Amino acid sequence: MTAEPLLSVSHLSLRIQDHTILKDISLEVQAGEVVGLIGPNGSGKTTLFNVLSGFLKPTKGTVCLCGEDITHLSAPLRARKGIGRVFQDFGIFRDMTLLENILVAFESLTTDERRKIGDLRSATQETLAMVQLQHFAKKKAGSLSGGQMRLLEIARTFKGNKSLLLLDEPTAGVSPKMTHQIADLIRSLRREGRTVLIIEHDLPFIAKICDRIIVLDVGEVALEGSPSEVQSSKKLKEIYFGADPTT
Amino acid sequence: MQLFSNGLIAGSLAALIAGGLALVYGTLGVFNLALGQMVLAGGYATWWLHQNVGLSLPISIVGGIAIGAAISWMTFEIFIRPFYKRHRFLPLVTTISLSMILDALILLLFEERPRSILASMKDMRIILGASISTEQIMLILITCLLLAFFAFILHCTAFGRKLRAVVQNDFAAMSLGIPVGTLHRLIFIGSGVLAACAGIFIGIDQNLSPLLAFPLTIKAYAAVIAGGKGNFWGAVTCAYIIAFLEQLVVGIRWFGLFYIPAGYQDTVALVFIILFLLFKPAGLFGSQTRTA
Repeated sequence: MTAEPLLSVSHLSLRIQDHTILKDISLEVQAGEVVGLIGPNGSGKTTLFNVLSGFLKPTKGTVCLCGEDITHLSAPLRARKGIGRVFQDFGIFRDMTLLENILVAFESLTTDERRKIGDLRSATQETLAMVQLQHFAKKKAGSLSGGQMRLLEIARTFKGNKSLLLLDEPTAGVSPKMTHQIADLIRSLRREGRTVLIIEHDLPFIAKICDRIIVLDVGEVALEGSPSEVQSSKKLKEIYFGADPTT
Repeated sequence: MQLFSNGLIAGSLAALIAGGLALVYGTLGVFNLALGQMVLAGGYATWWLHQNVGLSLPISIVGGIAIGAAISWMTFEIFIRPFYKRHRFLPLVTTISLSMILDALILLLFEERPRSILASMKDMRIILGASISTEQIMLILITCLLLAFFAFILHCTAFGRKLRAVVQNDFAAMSLGIPVGTLHRLIFIGSGVLAACAGIFIGIDQNLSPLLAFPLTIKAYAAVIAGGKGNFWGAVTCAYIIAFLEQLVVGIRWFGLFYIPAGYQDTVALVFIILFLLFKPAGLFGSQTRTA
């Protein structure tokens, strides 16, 4: 008997005006899995994240979290149910200090969760220390480098009740050193039993940290499997480079 | 000294309107062109409760603020909320319509005659050579208190941090579970309350007139744009700067030769916006942050 998946997406479609952005997508993610979502530009990866986190309503299909249908819940309600999101274009509050960026995330949790955490200010300091940003606590977040902004955003997102994290290109425009730090952070999330869905273009990076990879192409699930299966697949090359005319 | 005192009084009035507007612009990104009429609605409501219904001044003021908040709430529900997510310019059109409706209502209900909430003569004092009334001193002090209260809410409370988070990045705020829609509504009503307070001050210190609405809106927008679109403290600071400049421009004898006619006073705000947009498009306190 298989366990109930943490995230279950069933026959999900999205049409905007005359364009079909997502076509009949069905996928499941088990609790504690780290799953990579890859595909060429325009394949619908970020749109799928927007539907999962409640920023877009699907035309058809359902999204279930821990067996509960959340398709019609708003983004703030989904966040309260346990979906965290890291944005492609930095979802931080640039004119607030690092301390305030983390504190506001704690303060947005439910009363029960806040009670479990206890002293929010010391929890905030611990979170900053975990990503080695404690020395910049009183600096404005907008003064950080791209990599540091990413670390701040990831650290902020997974604190509290977040059982499913949606990371949209967490290493985009980030130095190799910071990329290692982000990879370590994702591994520590997995050790904590968190479930992570990552959009990335860096295939070696995603192959190193993911249990499974899903490939999207023109709004459809084109391929799915372990990192080694996907990396050696002929179909992946076709999706990215087109069919080889010699074969 | 008199120019400074006049600037302080006018700046305090403008700061109340512009501060609220900055929060609305920062969070919703929409223009509310009926703001001047909302200022007048608070003032006229207080005048009506005090002079016509015969309620005491404090109760009339509370009533005026409540009516201002109710008008602001209705404005949000009818003229803003159904439109602002479709396109940010749609509320520009709907609030122009609202401003015309409110203008007509104000003319119909209160006529074009100047109305003053206090019928009695004002008690004038001389402080450091400047003539100032007790009501004007109260206006300056209450504005300082209200701004200090807002500063406390914005920077020292969880609610204020959520509010600033919504102003800076509403998608990220939503992804943290912050109820952005509710905060949008509260911010809009809060800006209506500040506007009503300003209208009450105008009614106490000067005379209310339907013609005041448009210049009030323009000055508030000048302060918001020059302050760094959506920056509360930038808008407040620029409201004071514009008020002082207005007093200076028409209050001094230029090169010892001539005075600029008082009719040009209202153009100062417009010149101020143009100069800011030319030389500092991000505004006085516009964010200077790294993009990566």
